[in-house]
Amino acid sequence: MTALSPDLAPAALTRTDDGASRRTANPWLRFVLRRLVSLVLVLLGLVTVTFALVRLVPGDPAAILAGLNQTHSTVAIIRHNLGLDRPALSQYFSYIWGVLHGRLGRSFYTSQAVSSLLVQRGIPSAQLAGTALILVMLISIPGGMIAAALTRDGRRRHFEAVFSAVTSVFGAIPEFLMATLLAFVFAVALHLLPVAGNGGVQSLVLPVLAISLRPIAVLLRLVRVEALNVLSQDYIRTARSKRLGWRAIYLRHVLPNALTPVLTIGGVLFSSLIAGAVVVENVFARNGLGTALVSAVLGRDYPVVQGIVLVLGVTVVIVNAIVDFLLALTDPRSLTGQA
Amino acid sequence: MRRAFFRSPTAVIGLLLLLLVIVIAIIGPIIMGTKAAQLNPSAFDETPSFQHLLGTDSLGRDIFARLVAATRTTITVSVAAAAIGAVIGIPLGLCAVVLPRYPRIILLRFIDSLIAFPGLLIAIFVAAVLGPSATSAGLGVGIALSFSFARVSSTLALSIAGRDYMAAARILGIGWTRRIFRHVLPNAGETLVIATTVSISSSIVAISSLSFLGLGIQPPSYDWGSMLTLGVASFYTNPAGALGPAAAIAISALAFGLVGEALARAMNPLLWGELRPVMLASPIGFRSRFRRRSTAAHRQPGSQHLADRDAVLEVSDLVVEFPRPTGPVAVVDRVSFAVRRGERIGIVGESGSGKTMTALAISQLVPYPGTVRGQLELCGQEVAYIPHGELPAFLGRSIGIAFQDPASSLNPALRIQTQLTESAHANQHADRKQAQSIALQRLAEVRLPAPADQMRKHPHELSGGMRQRVMLAISLMNQPAVLLADEPTTALDVTVQAQIMELLAEINSLHGTAIILISHNLALVSQNCDRVLVMYAGRIVEDISVEKLVEGPRHPYTRGLLASLPDLRQPTDEELVQIEGSAPDLADLPPGCPFSPRCPLAIAQCQEEPPLVELSGGGRVACWVTMAATTAS
Repeated sequence: MTALSPDLAPAALTRTDDGASRRTANPWLRFVLRRLVSLVLVLLGLVTVTFALVRLVPGDPAAILAGLNQTHSTVAIIRHNLGLDRPALSQYFSYIWGVLHGRLGRSFYTSQAVSSLLVQRGIPSAQLAGTALILVMLISIPGGMIAAALTRDGRRRHFEAVFSAVTSVFGAIPEFLMATLLAFVFAVALHLLPVAGNGGVQSLVLPVLAISLRPIAVLLRLVRVEALNVLSQDYIRTARSKRLGWRAIYLRHVLPNALTPVLTIGGVLFSSLIAGAVVVENVFARNGLGTALVSAVLGRDYPVVQGIVLVLGVTVVIVNAIVDFLLALTDPRSLTGQA
Repeated sequence: MRRAFFRSPTAVIGLLLLLLVIVIAIIGPIIMGTKAAQLNPSAFDETPSFQHLLGTDSLGRDIFARLVAATRTTITVSVAAAAIGAVIGIPLGLCAVVLPRYPRIILLRFIDSLIAFPGLLIAIFVAAVLGPSATSAGLGVGIALSFSFARVSSTLALSIAGRDYMAAARILGIGWTRRIFRHVLPNAGETLVIATTVSISSSIVAISSLSFLGLGIQPPSYDWGSMLTLGVASFYTNPAGALGPAAAIAISALAFGLVGEALARAMNPLLWGELRPVMLASPIGFRSRFRRRSTAAHRQPGSQHLADRDAVLEVSDLVVEFPRPTGPVAVVDRVSFAVRRGERIGIVGESGSGKTMTALAISQLVPYPGTVRGQLELCGQEVAYIPHGELPAFLGRSIGIAFQDPASSLNPALRIQTQLTESAHANQHADRKQAQSIALQRLAEVRLPAPADQMRKHPHELSGGMRQRVMLAISLMNQPAVLLADEPTTALDVTVQAQIMELLAEINSLHGTAIILISHNLALVSQNCDRVLVMYAGRIVEDISVEKLVEGPRHPYTRGLLASLPDLRQPTDEELVQIEGSAPDLADLPPGCPFSPRCPLAIAQCQEEPPLVELSGGGRVACWVTMAATTAS
C-alpha cells in the first residue's frame, strides 16, 4: 500500500518528519509500559489462582488434612493455622502481602519455610532447565542455519530427507518417554551414566538430554524453514548484489529475520521445557522442584504446592516477557504493530 | 479430499495404527482382563519369555496382558480429556466473534497468556485441588487443552467473521446465535475436528505422564503411564517392563497425530505443504561462473566479437541454462552486446524472455541450479581471468543493481544506514566514518530529503518512492561503471515513476554511469534510453537505436510491441493491435526462429534459425524476412 503512495514533496516532508520523530521516540516507552501493565496483571492472576488453590478444594481442607483420627479441636487448629477462619478478602490481601515479602508459609509436614525449600530445591531445577536451554539455543540456531545454507534452493535433497526424518522423530517423542529410552540405552544397556541422583555433572547429562532433545529437534526444523524462507526473499538478493561475505549475509541479513518466529516458538518451548523438567526429575529421582511438587500434591501439602506453582508460573511469565522484548528488538515493526 | 488423504502413506499407516488401538481398546479388557489380574508370587520380575511376552511385574502379573487390558482406560480418559478441552475451549473461542471490541481484545490476551503456561502444570494444579484421580487428570488435561482449542477456534472464527458474507449477515441484522450456528461453525467444523484428533494425541501423552508421576489413574485401576512407573522401578531386572508401556504410549499418540496431520494436509495442502523454494522466483546464490568457451562451434551463426575500445561492458555468447527433467533449458541463449561508457541501454521483452536472467548473469547472481556460459568483459577486464578472491570486490565496484520492488528488496530488520554502508565496507574497505559520509552523499544524489534522519530509519518507515531512492543509492554506493536497473518503477505509481526516471538520467550525466534499464514497457525504454535490445525466448532479436525505433523497427516482433502501445493520436474506434498467440515454452521451442509461429510475415526459411546480423544503417536484427528486404532494396 505504501508503495502506491505518491512520493513526498519536500514541502510536505518537514511536517511528516516531525511526526515521525515523535513516533520513533515513543514506541519503546509505550511498548515497555504496555508490557509492564500486562505483566503485572498476569502475575496478579497467578497469585490469585495459587491463593484460590486451598479454597477450591471440595469440602473442608482442614478436615482432609487432619486425617482419620481428627477431633473438632485439631481441625480448628489446622483451620486457624491455614488462616481459613478469617474473612476471604483479608486472607487474600495478607496472602499477597506475604508473597511480596517472600513469606509463603510453612510445609505442613516438615515445617520448613516454603521460601527456603524453594531455594534449596530450585537450584538443581534451575541447573537442569538452564543447561537444557543453553544446549537448545547452542545447537538448534546454528544447526538450523547451517542446514538451511546446505539445502537452499533445493540443494542436497538426500541430506534434507534425512534431516527431516530425524528431526520429526525426535520432535515427536515426549520427555518422559525420551527419559526412559535414554536411561535404558545409556544406563542399563551401556552402563555409561548413572540413572538416578543429584551427584555431579554425570547425573545431569541424561536429564538434560531428555528434556532438550525434543525442543532441539523442533527448533532445528523451524530455524531451517524460516532461514530458507528468508533466503528466498528479494532483500537477500540485494545483499548478495553488494558482494557481502557469507558472515554478513547469514548473521546480519538472515538471522534477525529468521529469529522472529523462532523466538515466538522458543517461548512456548521454554514452558514445555519447565513441564518436561518436572517430569524428568521424577524419572531420574533428582531433588528438584518437580519431585517436590509431585510429593507435595500427593501429600496435600498445600503451602508447598502453592509456592512451587507460583515460582514455576512466574518463571514462565517472565521468560515470555523477555521473549516479547527480544521480538521487538529483532523486528522493529512489531513495536508499532505493523508486523 | 478423500483421495488426497489416502494417497499419503503416513495417513494410511496412521489410520491402520488408529484402528488397531481402537480395536484393542474395545476387546483388550475382555480377552486379557483375567490374565492381567492373575497374581503369581513365584514368578515376579521375570524377563520376557513365551509365556510372558514382556515379562512379569513385581507381583508376578503378566505385563503384556496388563498392557493390552490398560488400553481401554488410557484411551477413554485421554479422549474424555480432549472432549472436555473442546467443550470448554471452542465456545470460549467463538465468543471472540460476538463480543464487542475491547472485551474481545481482553479475551484474546487472556487466552494467549494462558496458552503460555505449561499444560502439565495446569493439570497438576487441578490434581492438587481435587486430589489425584482419573477424574482430576482428565479434567486437568482437558482444561489445559481448552486454551489451545480456544485459540484455534477464535482465530478461525475471526477469519470467517471477516469474510464479506458475514459482514452482510451482520448488516442484515441476523442474530449472533444464527451467525455462529449457520455460518461460523459449518465453516470451522472441519478444522475443529482435526484439532480434536491432534489434541487426543497430546492428551494421551499428558494423561500418561500424569499417571506416570502418580497423579493420574490410581490403583487398583491402571493405565500405561502407571505401568511405566512400575517398569522404571524394576528397570535393571526387566527393561521390557518399561519399554513396553513406553512404546504403547508413543505408538497410540503417533497414530492420532498422524491421522490428524494427514487430514489437515488433505484439506488444506497450502497450509501444511512443505516449503519448496520456487527456484526461478528466488534468484540467490552465486555459484555460477563464466567459463571461456573453447569451441567456436557453439557460437551463434554470424555473431562476432564486438571489439569496442570504449565499452565498459561486453557480453559475448552468454548462455544461462537450468536443468529440467527433459534436459537443460536455456533461458538466455547466445546473447551478445556491448555497452559504452555513459550509454543508456534498454532491454525489453515479455516476462520469461530472459531479460532479468541476462542481468543476473552479468552480475553473477544466477540462482542455483542455473549455469552460466559465455564471455564477460567488465571495465576492460575479462571476468573469467579475475582471481577468485578478488572477484566479489571487483564486481561490487563495477556493477550496481537496483531491483524491482523496493518494498521487498530492502531488509526490513536493518536500518537504512547499515544497508548502505555495508557495501562500502565490503568493497571499498572504507572505515565507519568514510562509509557513512559516502552513504550520505549518495542519499543526497538520489534526492532523498533529510538524508541524515532517514539513515536511522527502517525501510517500513519510508514511502515507496523513498525506498526506491534508497535502493538506487545502495546500487550507487561504489560508483559503479554500470548500473543495472531491473524494472525499477514497476511497483511505483506514475508520478514517482517519472521522478525515478529523471533521477536515472541525472546519475547518468553526473558520473557517466552506463545504465541498463530492464523493462517490459517499450514506451518507457524508448523515452529514457539511447538504444534498445529486444529479447524474445532468451535471445536478442533486435538491437536498435531509439531514433531508428521511432522511425520503424525491423523485426516483426518489435513492430508488434510498438503497435500494441496505446497512442493518444490513434482514433479511438481503432482497436489496439495485439501479438497473436502467447510466449513460447522455452523447453519446447519451435525449430528455427522462435517467433515464427506467431509471426504474420513468416516464410519457409523461418524454419531455420536466423542469425543476428549487423545492418548497414546500424543496429542488428535476427529475421530472414527483414534480411531479404534489405538485400533486395
